[in-house]
Amino acid sequence: MFSIETFFDSFGPLFWAARYTLLVSGLGIALGLVIGALICAAGLSRWTAAQRFAAIWVSFLRGVPLLVQLLLMYYLLPVIGINVPAIAAAVITVGICASAYISEIWRGAIGALPKGQSEAAIAIGMDPRNVWTRIILPQAVVLSLPALVNELILLVKASSLVSVVGILEVTRASQAHAATTFRPLEVYLAAACIYLLINLCLAGLGRYLEHRTAV
Amino acid sequence: MVQASSVEIRKVNKFYGPFQALKDIDLSVPPGKVTCLIGPSGSGKSTLLRCINFLEEYDSGEVRIDDQLIGYEVPGGRKMPARKLREMRRSIGMVFQQFNLWPHMTAQENVAEGLIRVRGLPRAEAADRAVEALRKVGLGDKMANHPARLSGGQQQRVAIARAIAMEPQLMLFDEPTSALDPELVGEVLNVMKTLAGEGMTMVVVTHEMGFAAHVADQVAFMEAGELVAVDAPARILHQPEDPRIQGFLRTYHERNAF
Repeated sequence: MFSIETFFDSFGPLFWAARYTLLVSGLGIALGLVIGALICAAGLSRWTAAQRFAAIWVSFLRGVPLLVQLLLMYYLLPVIGINVPAIAAAVITVGICASAYISEIWRGAIGALPKGQSEAAIAIGMDPRNVWTRIILPQAVVLSLPALVNELILLVKASSLVSVVGILEVTRASQAHAATTFRPLEVYLAAACIYLLINLCLAGLGRYLEHRTAV
Repeated sequence: MVQASSVEIRKVNKFYGPFQALKDIDLSVPPGKVTCLIGPSGSGKSTLLRCINFLEEYDSGEVRIDDQLIGYEVPGGRKMPARKLREMRRSIGMVFQQFNLWPHMTAQENVAEGLIRVRGLPRAEAADRAVEALRKVGLGDKMANHPARLSGGQQQRVAIARAIAMEPQLMLFDEPTSALDPELVGEVLNVMKTLAGEGMTMVVVTHEMGFAAHVADQVAFMEAGELVAVDAPARILHQPEDPRIQGFLRTYHERNAF
């Protein structure tokens, strides 16, 4: 028999655990945006070594499962003498992984702009700095918004993987709660609802941003 | 009257890999005159035009604006410093087939942007000059519109305003009416005629033979990367001697006859 009561009772502890889900995905995307911008810049630079570095960065991080990356980072950091809390290792790993996808999103957005956009600026004698900050980037950021929101939603879901390094986020909390209540169906259904709720909010935010920046 | 530049093109060659896009081009554009470049597509007209402001890098020869070589320090030498090239481009306006307005800015911002970022004018003054330039092309009432809210003809006039606001001494037009619906061509050509009447040096790549016939001081015909002939419009368009020009004009008239 499905227990409505257990279902609703599960929300309390799971909401509490959701702060870690939000922390890991929120800080993860923030870190991913910063590193992703640097990797994207490296990939587009004239410097061959930088291009090569960006290409390797992207293919490694896209080619290895996040779960394996998390375990690697978790065991690697102490070996090289860095002792940070598991949550920090998780955020850094998620951020680094996201940076690979985000740099590709930005590379795509920049590449999607017609060449004439920068040519018109160059033709009136604009310097490269202004061509980038005034003409290319404002348009590329707007173009990339839908893909960035999509990436953030993927991160919220991927954050369930950080449970392997002992962080009590929604998925891990629901496993624990299911084990104590013997009501896995109700508990996991509640967990699904929480993920859905977070991601519906993000999708809404994405639509709002797209609407506001539409020209 | 504007301060008008001259353009001297000498023995210009341009290669894309093994393909030669421009073959030993010689062309003189006198100050204050309108030169139309005509010819079939792929003949190198646009490439030649884009060599004049070095958006396209020619491989050998010379392009001089008022005796100043553009792109290279000396003919066949090193590239000129980027800063010097930008300085030369400031006084060369360019209008593109696809308008290339910046969609995230209003008409007024499109025109003011170069004045602020390139000429270093204060915002308020740049805004005033932008309004002035937009009025000149008949768009004083569309200042606050983004490009998406303008017709093709209006967008192209904003693009012309963006160029003339910089007070250029030379204007390059790369098929400015080719992307327009036929009923919108006239408004753009009229603005160009006004500009020509003010003594602007203009180089215009065009398929508008009417414009070439009535506004140009000289017409240059290109085919397969070669400059076949340069002459008065009537001599090229009405009594062409070269069979290549005759063939081109025959095709043109057949397409436009109904």
